[in-house]
Amino acid sequence: MLEKQSNLKAWLYLLPAMALLLVFTFYPLFNAFYLAFLRNYSYLNRTAEGYTLFGNFIDVVQDVNFKTAMKNTSIIVFVSVPISVMVALFISVALNSIKKLQGMFQTIFFLPYVTNAIAIGMAFAFIFHQDYGLFNMFLGIFGIDPVNWVGLGASWSTAMFALLVYTVWGGLAFKIMVFLAGLQNIDKQYYDAARVDSTPKWRVFSRITVPLLSPMIAYITITSFIGAFKAYRTIIGMFGPTLRPPGTLSKDSLITIVGLVYDSLSQADAVGKISQAAAASIILFLITLSFTGVQMMISKKRIHY
Amino acid sequence: MEKINKVIIKEEKIDIKESKRREIISKVIIYAFIVFFAIIVLIPFYWMILTSLKTLDQIESEIPPTLWVSFKNMMFVNYLNALEAAPYLRYMLNTVIVATISTVGTIFTTIFAAFAFARLNFKGRDIIFMVLISTMMIPGEMFVITNYITVSRLGWYSPFSQTFGQALLALTLPFMTSIFYIFFLRQAFKQIPDELYLASKVDGTSDFKYLWRIMVPIAKPTIITITILNAMGTWSAYIWPNLVTKEVEYRLVTNGLRNAYLDLTGRVAYNEQMAAAMIVTFPLLVVFLLLKKYIMRGVSRSGIKG
Amino acid sequence: MEIRLENITKIFVQKDKSEVVAVKSLDITIPTGKLVGLLGPSGCGKSTTLYMIAGLLKPNGGRIFFGEEDVTDTAPEDRGIGLVFQNYALYPHMTVRQNIMFPLENIKVPKPEALVRAQEMANLVGIGELMDRKPKELSGGQQQRVAIARALVKKPRVLLLDEPLSNLDARLRLQTREEIKRIQRETGITTIFVTHDQEEAMSISDEIVLMDFGEKRQVGIPQYVYDYPENLFSAKFLGTPPINIFEGEIKTKKVILDGKAIGITKGTNQKIVIGIRPEGFVLDEKGTFELVVDMVETISRDTSLIIIDPTRENETFRAIVDSKHRIKPGDVLKVSIKTDKLFVFNFETGELIK
Repeated sequence: MLEKQSNLKAWLYLLPAMALLLVFTFYPLFNAFYLAFLRNYSYLNRTAEGYTLFGNFIDVVQDVNFKTAMKNTSIIVFVSVPISVMVALFISVALNSIKKLQGMFQTIFFLPYVTNAIAIGMAFAFIFHQDYGLFNMFLGIFGIDPVNWVGLGASWSTAMFALLVYTVWGGLAFKIMVFLAGLQNIDKQYYDAARVDSTPKWRVFSRITVPLLSPMIAYITITSFIGAFKAYRTIIGMFGPTLRPPGTLSKDSLITIVGLVYDSLSQADAVGKISQAAAASIILFLITLSFTGVQMMISKKRIHY
Repeated sequence: MEKINKVIIKEEKIDIKESKRREIISKVIIYAFIVFFAIIVLIPFYWMILTSLKTLDQIESEIPPTLWVSFKNMMFVNYLNALEAAPYLRYMLNTVIVATISTVGTIFTTIFAAFAFARLNFKGRDIIFMVLISTMMIPGEMFVITNYITVSRLGWYSPFSQTFGQALLALTLPFMTSIFYIFFLRQAFKQIPDELYLASKVDGTSDFKYLWRIMVPIAKPTIITITILNAMGTWSAYIWPNLVTKEVEYRLVTNGLRNAYLDLTGRVAYNEQMAAAMIVTFPLLVVFLLLKKYIMRGVSRSGIKG
Repeated sequence: MEIRLENITKIFVQKDKSEVVAVKSLDITIPTGKLVGLLGPSGCGKSTTLYMIAGLLKPNGGRIFFGEEDVTDTAPEDRGIGLVFQNYALYPHMTVRQNIMFPLENIKVPKPEALVRAQEMANLVGIGELMDRKPKELSGGQQQRVAIARALVKKPRVLLLDEPLSNLDARLRLQTREEIKRIQRETGITTIFVTHDQEEAMSISDEIVLMDFGEKRQVGIPQYVYDYPENLFSAKFLGTPPINIFEGEIKTKKVILDGKAIGITKGTNQKIVIGIRPEGFVLDEKGTFELVVDMVETISRDTSLIIIDPTRENETFRAIVDSKHRIKPGDVLKVSIKTDKLFVFNFETGELIK
């Protein structure tokens, strides 16, 4: 009957999902910590030389790529996210205010959401091609000489610029979708009231729209930070598995924290590398965890109007 | 007698023409802004298509590049060449197989688990659900490491030998369920009124039959969303297939993209490269345009993709 | 078939482990072929009782009998009941026909027969031509009928209706309650329905069971319960406008209100609660009370007088008189009280004093 607890039956229904989660989610979660504390672990021989508390983390931090990865990741996170949030906000508000062709433009702005990061990354790399690229052609209109953005021997800063442009572009669709949904939930009465008072458009934007949308803006910003910390596929798309323009040094690499994880994992056969990958993934986890914490604090406070 | 305080309201002259003019100007600015960004959003797609239809000589000789190719000059042959440069047809077949297996698997495990969480009453339900939800914020890389080891230990992947069957197991089994989809479907199930369940109980419907005859049909839009998202995820999978397949032929479409596209003389064949990118992108765009409604449902609930 | 509840108790355990008694030692007998209304304010345990009869809830104590058969531990599907939910609980993805046929599927009725039976039922409730519609294409009243057809199609022994009219607008409510009465008469099925609306219960029930705080307060033919309330709760719950309540006392077998004797009783000297129905006041030149009219509401043939209560400050009560009397606010009226509209209750227990 209804109130009766149906433990056995419930677990039968849960069994397939739970078994899979146990093997491929929960066990890996704990194992990542276990691996990170093993000294000189070899997964091929299944041997380790005891335990170490910070050894693997120190190895990660002292890795030549670590500083680069932290720098790159931070730039991607703290430059691309605010820009794309702002641009997305403006586009959403503009889109929400028009009637004609709104559906068509919506579809256009949503398009990048479904696309393949690798494929579009390649397209962007070609847009930034020194000789055949669209971007230099565009600069040429203003009399600027072609820049070697991502080609052979391109500098870190130009490559990073191109990557940021791509990252902002790639992040717009999702944010516009969410903002538009939020805007459509705002009661039209506020706007009618503002209209009756003949409030100028920019004031409507800054005094009504943004404050009413503030919880959503905060949510999107933080989840986008978390998402951007995991940047990797975009870089593979633009620069390939080496994660840097051809003919450049590893200090000019565009490697990210996730890149570090996969870098170590690709050398899994070497002693200690798996542990380093685990340690790097834990560092990433702790960073995202702190952002999740911030988000929870904010959503509790509810920074409404 | 009461004294009446009069507030004197002065009528302000409103210049209708002036306000009309302003209205039009702001409309123009807004549309210009939208069109500008719409073009920026479309450029990579356009550039991809355009480049994929040019000859390599054209690409290399036209500086600055031309922005149009007339129909009679379109080099559709680039697509054929791109398909031959990497085992693309094989990749597509693999992708379809992997997507089918993992999606069917995911749908089943998800439906059962979501049903248990939404409908059944069992000990520890809320705690278990909370634990599941909280693992959603953990970056996937943490799982990948051990899953790579697990898959190797189970003998499904080794750098020395691997059968297609083993590759399929490695490619699908870890993705046969998803906490996010369980959560998503549970929400949809929860919206079905309890009375429907009670009504079916009065009629002697078993839980299992209620799930398949009533809940699943009602939650069909959500299940379609899950199917689409999952299939698209497989289509765009890159890292995991790269990690756990030994043979190049066992990989998926997206893996083919990082192939070296060179022409006979060793030049980078940008047109073929872009054709390949287009081959991967085009189906996604079509699916999106056709099934936008379903995909959008998922967006409102998902955090961040990727 | 007769339905008998013996000493039924239902206790709900809350999230914080505290217990709430929803139904307390309830004894009810529902006679064969009758339409019985379970009536009471929200939270009185009437829906819980219905769900226990349906078998969707299991009582913590007591037995439930269908005829001679003890069904307390019988699963809902084996009890032979039809249940209509407050929000109808129609399966939204199925057509009307599929909805009505669904219960037959479970008892493995062959499809041709099921089709015939579904159509019969649909005709009975008057939706025979809507069989291919989806629930959301129907009006509230039509959905209600589909729900009834679905409940009746497997020929249950008992039909249970949970707040069957509460989701309908006022006009449809009137129409539908007649419809329910008709269907019940035509099928002769023992029917129990739950409602918080006394007018609804009184208009169609053969018998009502009045409940409060999980306990049965009175059972009987609606008009009888109205005319002879056994306790203050029954008196207060039935009747619109509701009965007027005053404090008074019994002195030497006389009912005293505001210092005046208004009736006689068998009760001993004590403090009492006096209830007087609004129609119990009569304009009478020789009346014992002089009352001041505060407001007058005339609705068709009745005039409702809001009268200043002489026994309490800032309180008013209501009397209904024929609208032929021309009364203005501020008038002073001489009034006497009809003894058959006057009830006397124990001040502590609320029980009727004869």
